[in-house]
Amino acid sequence: MLKYLTTVSLLLAGAYLTGSHALAAEQGLTDTEIVIGDVEPLTGPPALLGVAASIGHKMAIAETNNAGGINGRKIRYVLEDDGYVTARTIQGARKVIDVDKAFAMLGISGSGQSIAVMPVLEKAGIPTVINVAPVKFLWEPPRKNVFVVGQSYEEGIIQLVTYLAEKNPGKKWGLITQDDDYGITVRDGFDTVVKAKKLNVVYSGNYKKGQQDFSSDMLQLKQSGAEVFLAGGIIGENIAMMKELEKLNIKPVVGIFWPGRVEPVLKLMGPPADGIYAVDYVEPFAGPAGKAFLEKAKGLLSEGEMKGINRYSMTGYAAAKVLIAAIQRCGKEPTWACTIAELEKTKNVETGVMAPISFGPGIRFSDQKLHIMQAEFSTLSFKPVN
Amino acid sequence: MEYLVQLVISGLAIGAIYGLIAMGFAVIYKSTGLVNFAQGEMTMIVAYVAWTISTSISGNVFVVAFGAILAAILLGLVIERIVIRPMLGEPVFATVMVTIGLAVILRSSINFIWDAYPHGLDLGVGRDIIRFGNIGVRTGQIAVIATLLFLLAAIWAFFRYSKFGIAMRAVAADDRTALLMGISATRVHAIAWAASSVIAGIAGVFFAISYDISPAMFQLGLKAFPATILGGLDAILGSGLGGLLIGITENLAGGYLGSGMKEVAGFVMIVVVLMIRPFGIFGERDIERV
Repeated sequence: MLKYLTTVSLLLAGAYLTGSHALAAEQGLTDTEIVIGDVEPLTGPPALLGVAASIGHKMAIAETNNAGGINGRKIRYVLEDDGYVTARTIQGARKVIDVDKAFAMLGISGSGQSIAVMPVLEKAGIPTVINVAPVKFLWEPPRKNVFVVGQSYEEGIIQLVTYLAEKNPGKKWGLITQDDDYGITVRDGFDTVVKAKKLNVVYSGNYKKGQQDFSSDMLQLKQSGAEVFLAGGIIGENIAMMKELEKLNIKPVVGIFWPGRVEPVLKLMGPPADGIYAVDYVEPFAGPAGKAFLEKAKGLLSEGEMKGINRYSMTGYAAAKVLIAAIQRCGKEPTWACTIAELEKTKNVETGVMAPISFGPGIRFSDQKLHIMQAEFSTLSFKPVN
Repeated sequence: MEYLVQLVISGLAIGAIYGLIAMGFAVIYKSTGLVNFAQGEMTMIVAYVAWTISTSISGNVFVVAFGAILAAILLGLVIERIVIRPMLGEPVFATVMVTIGLAVILRSSINFIWDAYPHGLDLGVGRDIIRFGNIGVRTGQIAVIATLLFLLAAIWAFFRYSKFGIAMRAVAADDRTALLMGISATRVHAIAWAASSVIAGIAGVFFAISYDISPAMFQLGLKAFPATILGGLDAILGSGLGGLLIGITENLAGGYLGSGMKEVAGFVMIVVVLMIRPFGIFGERDIERV
């Protein structure tokens, strides 16, 4: 009897220790659930990207949960709204990590917000995959636990301007940018090509964030005689600029950047949108990969969520797939150390929405391949041209 | 010369939108002594309601106009009754803070009720471009300037000749004496909020026709506020004209001094004017600044 009791006691103690070890080892894990956290702008104008990115995350999570979860654990997605306010991003990240006990993080909000929240992520050591606003500061220097899926703004602009310069040799150039970190990055990329290709820049404007009337700016552009124009606005700004160009009856070759490459924008720009160039690292929705993505989304998202899909949903989906795959490879008892190690081993992971994703030892940036695209107003879509 | 004319015309068009919203600020201030920091958000909400009517009920311009005006009246009355009236007698600072809170709530409601995408308000009118030589103007821009001028005249006549307009002036001048004369201050306040909402809503709809609607539209209120300070916070007509002045100044500065000066020019103008006339160009009385 004593022997029996001793055996039972040892087994119970062992089970308790094993169980408590599993619970104590990493936060955000139960026998049936794993928590993934996210902080995005869900209100205000930048909700256009935050909501869409979270929809992409939800899509990958729903796909995984429908297939049985991560090694039997269903993913619970905790999403916080920061309203694009940096202080709230930090507050949201702390809440997700300390209160919701997330096992890993996706997101996170805009470029300035991601930069500001970096010390919180680094200190916590939580595995994080960033996909919304890729800026160099996020991967240079590389942080152990933070991985970035995408391409740098600067590189995007360099490739777009280089393409347009080669297609329009000897033409006069115009540029307008926003007066913030986003605008500075766009301008830096533009200036790199201006120096390399010795472009003739006849107009260079800088507008204040929130400006809605671009009549005097576009009139200056017209006066300058610019023939190729890089519209460095985001969404509403580019729409307003195109409407002014139509009013002024001028049709320069126009390039826009990927934050504004969302299909509804073309409808609002009207016929002048036809032929504008854009650069991006995600597939256009008009192509086979885009169509397949939308088809897949139908089975995973609600009708309301379907309406919120844009290019950021693709970046969110890809990042979530990479993170989920890394956790999955860690087996039944994933840890942060294992997840980070597996993220580092990510090699040519296919997501169907962008070129295969890879990281490596000391490499925390996936450096996605870029495509130049051209808008087609009749179908309200973008089509690759290179 | 053509460059200057184009700058002035565009400035008048955007200035008319600022002017209408600024008049909304002044109507409330003149009747209640309160600065409504949710004016830009009210402008945005009415424009979104107009867009909803146009996409879900009818795109007919008269149906949309009627529906939007009705919605604006309701919005103004509801805000006054539920949010502002309970604050009567409370310190002005507290009431102003309430309007700031209201602004945040209205701003956030856009994403909850509608979405974050920009939308075009297509009523089949207002987007055509009329060309005078090389100068292009949208019909919507001409219409908003005409509407502002019409409203300036109508409001002048209302305050000058109508019984209720005189009652509103009485409440603004001395609400206690007005009360003793049998004028209901709460009724005057309610009508002022409704009128302010309608005027701001008209600006919102015109802006949506010429540009688009988006959750960033509330920022029009931030541009219109300097216009009302410039014209005079208690001067409804002055606020309207202040909007035109700000619009033209911004455009001329943007056109001749560079894009960066566009946003600054209006504020430079305000600083200069307020140093000479602390109550604004058309302001008449001592204004309690908050």
